[in-house]
Parts: sequence; C-alpha cells; structure tokens
Amino acid sequence: MNTSTLKNSAVTLTANDLGAPKITLRQRLARHPQLFTLALIIAVCLVVGAINPEFFQLAMVFDIVRASTVLGLFALGVMIVLAAGGIDVSFAAIAALTMYGITKLVMTQFPETSMVVILVAGAVGGTLLGVLNGLLVDWLKAPSLIVTIGTQYLYRGILLTFIGTVFFMNVPHSMDAFGKLAVWRHDTATGVHAVLPATVLVLVAAAGLTWWLLNRTLMGRAVYAIGGSLPIAERLGYKLRTVHLFVFGYAGFLAGLAGIVHVSSTRLANPFDLVGMELDVIAAVILGGARITGGSGSVSGTLLGVLLVTLINNVLILAGVPSTWQKVIVGTFIVLAGAVFASKRSS
Amino acid sequence: MTSTTPIPAAKAEVFLQLEGIHKRYAGVHALRGVDLTIEAGEIYHLLGENGCGKSTLIKIISGAHPPSEGRIIINGQPHAALTPLQSLALGIETVYQDLSLLPNMSVAENVALSEQLVAGNGRLARRFDRRAVDATAARALAAVGLPSDPHFLSTRADELPIATRQLLAIARAVATSAKMVIMDEPTTSLTQKEVDNLVSVIEGLRAQGVAVLFVSHKLDECYAIGGQAIVFRDGAKVVQGPIANFTKAELTHAMTGKQLDGGRYRSSRAHADGDSALLRVQGLGRRGYFSGVDLSLHKGEILGITGLLDSGRNELALALAGVQGADSGSIFLDGKEITLRNPGDAIAQRIGYVPEDRLSEGLFLDKSIRENIITTVLNTLRSRFGALDANRAQALAEATVKDLQIATPDVDRPVQSLSGGNQQRVLIGRWLAIHPRVLILHGPTVGVDVGSKDIIYRIIQRLAEDGLAVVLVSDDLPELLQNCDRILMMRKGQIANTFDAEGLAEETLYRALISDSKVAA
Repeated sequence: MNTSTLKNSAVTLTANDLGAPKITLRQRLARHPQLFTLALIIAVCLVVGAINPEFFQLAMVFDIVRASTVLGLFALGVMIVLAAGGIDVSFAAIAALTMYGITKLVMTQFPETSMVVILVAGAVGGTLLGVLNGLLVDWLKAPSLIVTIGTQYLYRGILLTFIGTVFFMNVPHSMDAFGKLAVWRHDTATGVHAVLPATVLVLVAAAGLTWWLLNRTLMGRAVYAIGGSLPIAERLGYKLRTVHLFVFGYAGFLAGLAGIVHVSSTRLANPFDLVGMELDVIAAVILGGARITGGSGSVSGTLLGVLLVTLINNVLILAGVPSTWQKVIVGTFIVLAGAVFASKRSS
Repeated sequence: MTSTTPIPAAKAEVFLQLEGIHKRYAGVHALRGVDLTIEAGEIYHLLGENGCGKSTLIKIISGAHPPSEGRIIINGQPHAALTPLQSLALGIETVYQDLSLLPNMSVAENVALSEQLVAGNGRLARRFDRRAVDATAARALAAVGLPSDPHFLSTRADELPIATRQLLAIARAVATSAKMVIMDEPTTSLTQKEVDNLVSVIEGLRAQGVAVLFVSHKLDECYAIGGQAIVFRDGAKVVQGPIANFTKAELTHAMTGKQLDGGRYRSSRAHADGDSALLRVQGLGRRGYFSGVDLSLHKGEILGITGLLDSGRNELALALAGVQGADSGSIFLDGKEITLRNPGDAIAQRIGYVPEDRLSEGLFLDKSIRENIITTVLNTLRSRFGALDANRAQALAEATVKDLQIATPDVDRPVQSLSGGNQQRVLIGRWLAIHPRVLILHGPTVGVDVGSKDIIYRIIQRLAEDGLAVVLVSDDLPELLQNCDRILMMRKGQIANTFDAEGLAEETLYRALISDSKVAA
C-alpha cells in the first residue's frame, strides 16, 4: 500500500458530514460570546441615551474609558488565569500591596523617581507576588481558588501590618503628573472639557500584549490547552509548571500596573482601596464570555465585559436608576449570560 | 528525529526494545520483567485481561510513568525512563481511549500543535505560527481522508463525532511523523464501517514503516487486521508470535489461563411456553431517529438489537428505557399501555436500563459499590424515620456482589477501584435491585476483558432463565449470536431484518449490517 491508496481507502467526507453543519444562533453565540456582550452594551447605551440624551457626548465616553482602566487591567489578568483553568482572587491584594508599598518608598526615600521606573517597579513587584501564587499552586497541587484566597489575606495582612495603614494624600510628582496627562483634550461649545487620560495607554498596551501572547505564542496555546484538559495537555508534553508560573505571574504583572495606574489617576494612595473589586472583575470576565471552567476567553470579549460593567456602574445614574439597582442589573446580566453561553452538547 | 544516526541495515529494523522492565506501584508489582521488541512497519496486538499490565506498559513507553527497573532502547539509544515530550520527540504517538484531544481547541491545533511543541523541545516562549500549523494539519488530515478546508480546520474538536476524532488522533501521528503509534481500544465506540476505515488508514501507516501497537478486546478484529499477537498475563508477557498461528481459544487461554470457547451461551428457548408477549411495541417512533418500530418481547427471551451507529438502535433503546421518550406509537407492558417519558417512569414499570457508557452515564465512580447499587431503590430502603436503613442497604449490596461474582473484598470500595468487567456488573446489579421485568442492556461488554465477558454472559443467561425479558443492544455480532434468541437489524431508523439467532452465521449478520437494503434471512 502506498500513500495514494491510503488516501483513497478512507471515506471521502466533507466538512458538512462531520458535524458543524448548520450553525444555530446558540452555537454562534457559544463560539463568539462577545456578540452577546456587545448586544447588551448597545442595549444599555440605547436605553440610557433615550432617557437622558446627555449621555451621547464625548466627555461621557472618555469618562467611561477612564473608569474602565483599572478594572480592565485586572480583568485581562483574571481572563488569562481562567483560560488556563485556574482562578485568581488575589489580584486586588497584589495591586494594593505594590501600589502602596511603592508609593510609600518613593515618597519617603526617592521623591524624584521617574514615572517609567515606578511603572516598572509596580510591574516587577506584582509579577513576583503572582509568581508566588503560581509556585504555590504548582507545589501544593491545590485548587488555585483556595491558594489565592489564602495569599489574598497574606498579601493584605503584610501590607497593613508591615507597610502601613495611613493613606497618602499626596503622591509623588511623577505619578501626579502622569495622572493628569492627557492624550487628547477637547473643549465643547458648551464648555465641557473632554479629556482622554494617558493612563488609558497602559490598558491599550496591556490588551495588545495579552492578545499577542495568547494568539501568537506557543505559551498562549499552552494556556488554552491546559484550560481545556490538564491531564491531556500534560500527556501531550506541555509543561504545567511553566504555564502556571506564567499565568499567575502575568496576572500579578497586570495587577501591579493597575495599582500604579490607580494611584496616579486618583492621586491618592489608600491601602484600603481596590480590595473588594474582585467580584466586579470576575463578573466582567464572565460577561466577556470566558468560561469559569477554563479553556476559553478572549481579549476582545473581556474588554467588552469590562465596558459593560463600567457602564452599568457609572451611567445608570444618568437614566435615573438608583445606584442600588446596579447590582441587580449586573446580577441579572450574569445569570442571562450564563444561560446563553451554556451550549449544551447533544449526545 | 531525522538526525539520529542510521542503524546498521538489518532484516527488520528494530524501533523499540524493552529490557527487563519492572514496575511497582505502592504494593503492586504491575510489570514483572518485560522484554519486548517492536519492529518498524509491523502491527502488534497487545492482548490480556484488565489489570494484566497492558496499560502500565503503554504508560512506560509513552513516558507517563517511569519504570522501576529496566531499560527502554529506542533507535539503539538506551533510556532509563522517558518523559511524555521525549517519547513524542522520538516518534512515539500514543492515542489513549480519550484520544488525547483537547476539546476546546481547533482541529488544526489538535493535529499540528504537537509538532511545533516537539520542534521547540517543549519551550513555550516561541512564536506560534498559525499558518504553519494549518498547512501541516491540512497535509496530515488529507493523508487520513479527512477534509482540510479552513472551515473544518477551525472546527472545535468536541463538535466532531467520535469516529472523526479517532481519525484526528491518527492525523496527529502523521503530522509528527511518528515512528510508532499506540492505540488503546481504538474501535470501542466505532461502527463496523468506521472500523474498516480506521483499519485501512492504519494499514497505510504501516506500509510506510510505522510500527502500530493496538490494545483491543475484540479478537475478531485483531485477526482481521493481522500482525503479531502479544499476550500479557499478571504483569508478564506469556505469548508472542504471528496472530494467525494461534486459534482464538489458544489466545483466550493464554490471556485468562482458563479454557473458554466461543460457543453459544443460549441453550433453551424459554419464551415458547406462552404466546402473549410481555412487552409489545407498536409503530414506535422518534422524529429524526426511528419510526414505525413494531416488536414484541416474551418473558425469558433475549432479544438482540443491532445496526450501525446512525441506524436508530441507540435511540430505540433510549426510548424503551424512558431516557429519550418516543413521540409516536405505543408501548404495552403485560397488555396495558404505558408511557415512558423519563427514567422514573421506566423504573416504576420495572424496566431497567444499563447504559452503554458506564463511566459517564451510569456509575458514580468515586462512590462506594454499595452506594452505586442502592441508588435505584433508595425509596424502598427507608427506615421508620425516613432515613436510609443502613443494614438493609448493606445486605442488598453484599447479596448483589455475591450474586454477580463481583471481585472485591468489601462493598465500601469506590467503584473506580474495580476493573471494567466488575464495574459493569455493579451497574447490572443496580438494576437487578428493582426486580426488573424487562432489562435493557446497552453494549454490556464494551471495554470488558474476555474473562469478565464470560461471567457477564452467564449472568444474562441466568436472568433470562429466571423469567426476565432481556433486550441486548450491541454492535458486537458474536456477542449477539452467542446470547440472543432473535436479533433485530435496524437500518435508517427502521427494523430491516429479524433473524433467528440459533444457527445464524456471523457472515450473514455482518452482510445485513453493512448492506443498504434488505437481505433475505
């Protein structure tokens, strides 16, 4: 037998014979869950805009983008951990520890440190704490939820016990300047200042980097492989430890950056900040189409999920919706998303 | 792989050699000094009962576990142990029963990502070249007769039927230029047609110098494929040689150490005593799957139902078990019309259903044997205060274990600690607990070794003799011929033929199975 008989011997099948025939709306949504997120965003915008036409203006868009930045950085980190089949709930504690520790160090020891050095320090600090998460998950073979609940307390305890509890009303010059820096400024006829802050660039760069890592490197494929099935990926020769260290380290890296961005844009370093955002972030990632069971998640979906949560948290006020109702709406959307994304496979 | 030094020309090129391999797990001596030689371009059938060391051997060759002692020599290079990546890099592709496909990734990635991983020696800090992956995958897919258009390449692996996934796993072996392919029970979930296709693809690989190692319980298939038989028993190799040199009885004897013939288990025709059927089905149908099915089943009768995977046989079984109710026609039990809309309805009518996939549909693997057996009868095991009566539960479980010869020291062991054949018996025992009038067995010996098969067949016969009406849904033709009174052949959602199993030739049944139209019985 030779190659040609090998080819002929097999049945001639077309793609349509082999499943994936007609794609139903449900399947399309299962493949591109961000379409659903996008639809929700459009619906929220139309409703709010119809009730309050003030909504449709540039200043509002910029405000939402500004409010999305920290949430977005966290969400990208959580998404990549979820894609690898784990979960991280310590990111806010990592961000708080790095941002406060670095701000205090700069304020008291090196007040003239440049913004670039501060950002790098935040990134390195966050990465180290994230890598510690990864090492613990790998050594203990423990569920990452439990490990990161533990380290979340640990990091926060270290912050409050050893570094400080008093918040800084003044932040270093370079951070202050970075927070005020505008990429683009527009004054409308009515005298409203629309400012696109430079901090947004950090999110844009992080989103680009995350997309590239996930889609253009073998590491990115390994993340999805391990999230799809850990035992199979191990059998196929993927190194679990490397991937674990990478995803938790990367989530820590983004959390460190998020902490610095947070201090810069609020011009305040409060050690009690950020912690408590965990569920908002995880909600945004889930609304962006990542499955809690791992193996999926995209940058575009995550950013849309972040946008949706930010919209609900910030603009429903404009439509006269009381702020307590925001939780109800986010909750409803998550349940709805859960129902839509769950594509039950026929046996 | 291509850079290895050429081996001096020999008559047959040796690819892999195992020397004195021992493997000890905590307290268990799983392999006891195995020597094995695998030559390029040869097909091997690794035979043996569950627990004989086959799986351990495969894990050692594929690098999943290190041996406790001994050497693995590949292309003349000795290794004390292999890692999964080393094994892949040396050209060994292992297709486990779950096919080692990543469910959430595309066809192209499943086929060709391994090649990139191996090329980079497992380093992940490398660029992922999607176009190279697509090109490699397209080439490999074409070689196994699968489509290679962009739509198929981007389809998720879990959206494909099992036969296609099986071919996908082979395409991965082609993509990594494997020198040896190990397949663990590759034909278990395939129909005869799909098996034929798989075998011809494998034969193509062999012709190109790839060594193929099959693990299978289906002896007939091994004979049809040909090559070398390797028989393991109790962690040691007991027989090796061309499979054609052995009779089935000899191989079975080597595997079990006992003499088992392939003869018919069914001796009497118990249903002749009464003419009124226990179960009667008229014009039963489920849109898109089967229609107009008439059948009758007598007390003590064993009725076989077979057909290709898409013939509607599975759906008919599920409808009779109330798992997926029929949407037309009627079912009469003991002359009374009944409706079966969910498994609860069927249990209430004392119709038991032992599903095909015992691992995912039937058993709670991490729960004890006792808990698995009593699940269908929890209501009847209530004590006065509404709690579970532990003594009666224990008694029921112990009686079942004894009755069905389940090999276990006690009923508290988790089901996953049992071998496949014993697991299957736990599942049958669960349904016997409801004292069924009708028992539907769906592929009762899938993935079960010969010794256990024998026990299960004897149990089925005894049940029928006790007056139980048994429906046996299976694609294992010898199994049907050995056990049934009558065999219904389904085709395109309808009953195409009814055969009297006594004296029926397997060839006749097989021809009916693969033919497109009715054949004379």
